[in-house]
Amino acid sequence: MGTFRLPDLGEGLAEAEIVEWHVKPGDQVRVDQPMVSVETAKAVVEVPVPYSGTVTALHGAVGDIVPTGAPLVEFDSGTVVGSMPPTAPEEFVDSATVGRAAPADSSRTRAVPVARALAKRLGLELGAIEGSGPNGLVRLDDVLAHAPAGAPRSSSNGDARPPAGNGSAATRGAEAPPAALAVPGGASAEPLRGLRRAMAHSMSQSHAEVPGSTVCDDADIHAWTGRGDYTLRLVRAMIAACGAEPALNAWYDPASKARILMPRIDLGLAVDTTAGLIVPVLRDVRGKSPGELRAAIASQKDAAHRRATPPEDLRGFTLMLSNFGTLAGRYGIPLVMPPAVAILGCGKVRQDAVVAGGTVAAHPRMPLSLSFDHRCVTGGEACRFLAAVIADLELPE
Amino acid sequence: MIEAIALAHGWEMQHDESVVVIGQDVGANGGVFRATAGLQARFGADRVQDTPLAEATIAGMSVGMSAHGLKPVAEIQFMGFLYPALDQIVNHMSRLRNRTRGRMSCPVVIRTPHGGGIHAPEHHSESTETMLCHVPGIRVVCPSSPARAYGLLLAAIRDPDPVMFLEPVRLYRAVRQEVADDGRALPLDRCYILREGSDVTLVTWGAMTLETMSAAAELEAEGVSAEVIDLATLSPIDSATLLESVAKTGRLVIVHEAARNVGVGAEIAAIVAEHGLYDLQAPVQRVTGYDTVVPLFRLEHDYIPSVRRIVDAVRRTLAG
Repeated sequence: MGTFRLPDLGEGLAEAEIVEWHVKPGDQVRVDQPMVSVETAKAVVEVPVPYSGTVTALHGAVGDIVPTGAPLVEFDSGTVVGSMPPTAPEEFVDSATVGRAAPADSSRTRAVPVARALAKRLGLELGAIEGSGPNGLVRLDDVLAHAPAGAPRSSSNGDARPPAGNGSAATRGAEAPPAALAVPGGASAEPLRGLRRAMAHSMSQSHAEVPGSTVCDDADIHAWTGRGDYTLRLVRAMIAACGAEPALNAWYDPASKARILMPRIDLGLAVDTTAGLIVPVLRDVRGKSPGELRAAIASQKDAAHRRATPPEDLRGFTLMLSNFGTLAGRYGIPLVMPPAVAILGCGKVRQDAVVAGGTVAAHPRMPLSLSFDHRCVTGGEACRFLAAVIADLELPE
Repeated sequence: MIEAIALAHGWEMQHDESVVVIGQDVGANGGVFRATAGLQARFGADRVQDTPLAEATIAGMSVGMSAHGLKPVAEIQFMGFLYPALDQIVNHMSRLRNRTRGRMSCPVVIRTPHGGGIHAPEHHSESTETMLCHVPGIRVVCPSSPARAYGLLLAAIRDPDPVMFLEPVRLYRAVRQEVADDGRALPLDRCYILREGSDVTLVTWGAMTLETMSAAAELEAEGVSAEVIDLATLSPIDSATLLESVAKTGRLVIVHEAARNVGVGAEIAAIVAEHGLYDLQAPVQRVTGYDTVVPLFRLEHDYIPSVRRIVDAVRRTLAG
């Protein structure tokens, strides 16, 4: 409750005449809305509502002379504690119904959560899987029965995480704990940590998820002038091959069964370090000059060996290169790291007896192994890519 | 809403002589929020009694009155002042029926303002309904509109067992709605579906229905069809309606003003986990106050869940 008294209207006058009331008892009013017009000796002044609430009484009628400080209006502000929000002027729309609306869509698939998660991970449409549980409930085994070859078949593999958006050995999450294995005497179990643990996870994922295929060939680099920088030449050859066959510089999304052709080549470079495999990414290799590329390769290799690669440089490659031939090995079956769809492996260059110009000659040859995700890359695309790699590698410069 | 509550009091006192109103300042003053305005003048000081500032006494008197055939409707001025009355509520009001093996019931209604949002001082913005919901033998009701305040209060007074009637202060004067003073009660122990939808179920109660309905409108503009359910009776919970809705939408977001830890939202999530897990397409989300003392008014609106927080939670369930 509150009484509002006629204030001094700023002119030092002792009284004012009520000209017009803008409110009446019972009105719910808000601060600052017009309340009353009073006339002083000089002018008609509008006095606004001082506080929100309900007007309970007016003191004085139109024409009355009210002395300054006399009670003018009684309010009920509704509470003695806090401040009430003013009532909205519009009618409150409220169309509640008691309980139980009729279900609109009974066709929605019911599934055990782990089955739902696995179906999502495998890119399977849950609605297309017939549930063997009560009332068609889709259970884990129902999803596993629809899983593509290579996917985990056992219900005991509880790893039902959705696929990671970007592939890099070093950024993978933790692997599920390995099944306990009896450790022979004299040996000791070393839990995989860090890069090795990440490799275990990403390779398992590749193996489980990617129906990969590998095609091998050699590039005759006899024509090279000078010794040449293998890595740089390989990168250049892959750039040329992406121009000839863009299908391998891509991501595959099994959830939407979509391939995403990448406008830019972000090349993942497999680097062997004492701590394990690490795959730093060379961004936009097509946009770099040979000098810039050489510098980028050197600095990424150096950072990898120092374990100083920033996390953002471990994500998002669109194509991958593994130059394992610096160590040993001729051909190999490199594993594709999803969501990328291809990886080129280069083995050890050696002198081969080559038939050239009708005679046998010794030429240095670079053995190449190209693995690709056969879900979205055809054999033809892979071979065209490999042919373009070889063609570029066989150029003198 | 405050006038709807006063109307319900008036109707029931007019039509049932055993209904009495007690509480601090409910008589001459008409109640701290004017929920009992005019009742003492209309029905006399015997039926509308002012009490001392003594919540345990108010609750204890109510239990005693009910044991002798009256139907007391008591007012506690703020939920933060309810706690001295808990001994009477928990140890006596809730178990009179059980203690007498059904010979007696306890037709008491204790009304108290619920929640914050009106720039009040400390202790005046509590929403500790979960403490009451945990106690067997009492109903906990929280209306979300003037019409439901009227209909549910009538039902609460007429019910032979005790009801804690929590009135969202933010709604006391926030909305204007014509309410027919026809003495018609609304069902207790039932949810009220404020808006039908097919993509996500939003469950809330009390003043949070305002933000939740705004969130649903915002989501509709994005093409997301949200069903909004007002829990209304917080204990016992109308599980059937909630489960049917979740079976329909596959997603659940619970919104409450009270702190998160062991809030009523946790009970709802547990009910759905126990009986509706296979219908869920995404993890349940809760949008709640924080696990802290309700802040004073400068930070009050950071504490009360915002439309933005609700919409974000819905987006999380849709992404999952």
